[in-house]
Amino acid sequence: MASQLVELQEGGRLPEITKTVIQENINRYAEASRDFNPIHIDEEFARKTQHGGTIAHGMLVLAYVSEMMTAAFGRNWLTSGKLDVRFKAAAHPGETITVSGQITKLSKSGGQTAVTCSILCRNQKNEPVITGEATLVVPEV
Amino acid sequence: MAKAYSELEAGYEFPPGNYKLDAARVSLFLGAVGDASYPYLDNRLVPPMAVAALAMAALSNTVSLPAGAVHVSQELGFVEAVRPDENLTSYARLSRTQKRGKLHVIAIDFDVRSQAGKTVLTGKTSFILPQDEEQ
Repeated sequence: MASQLVELQEGGRLPEITKTVIQENINRYAEASRDFNPIHIDEEFARKTQHGGTIAHGMLVLAYVSEMMTAAFGRNWLTSGKLDVRFKAAAHPGETITVSGQITKLSKSGGQTAVTCSILCRNQKNEPVITGEATLVVPEV
Repeated sequence: MAKAYSELEAGYEFPPGNYKLDAARVSLFLGAVGDASYPYLDNRLVPPMAVAALAMAALSNTVSLPAGAVHVSQELGFVEAVRPDENLTSYARLSRTQKRGKLHVIAIDFDVRSQAGKTVLTGKTSFILPQDEEQ
């Protein structure tokens, strides 16, 4: 299994991912995660809240970040990845979410490189939905 | 009957939650998030985000999160790759409960261990509870 698919370079950009949030997938995620909070799946309930309608689970959108990190770093992400994020805005059905990241720091030590990346998920209006940092360790080759 | 988070104090330890992700649940998860990454093909590995999601779901078996709760931040650490049908146990502790004016912020630390007792995932999740929860 490939372990790293991007060149390690400070300032290097990770491969962007773009996804459209749809209610059907929110419903699937509710079932998969057993998170049936009505804010995600009950339109009538959600319409009366500050969101004005259903919203995707924050962890669903965060899974897009993990997908990008897996695409960039392969199995190293699955065994050493760390995420530290804040949910800045809700993602509604119909919105397009673009996930991007950039390598901000590389620290070599003991035959390994600690990689720090900034993470941003933004909607089609360019508003941040998730911001934060991802780190992982990759072996030096 | 599940308790409300507002009844709990920092330091509360949740009962451990046992679960496993079979191939059908992994497939459902991957379909929901639209992820076709190669480590998960042919049921080789479980996406760590699915492990985290089910660990958080295990909390709701004993403590109910109110419908209007807002997920404000999340930390996760992936330690070991998990395979489908592995028996997992989640352990969680209410690490912070803080009232700021009308806001009630809670933070929960959790970790997931394999049947052999090895930690496979760690996490910290924070929510703001709606005002209704205070009434």
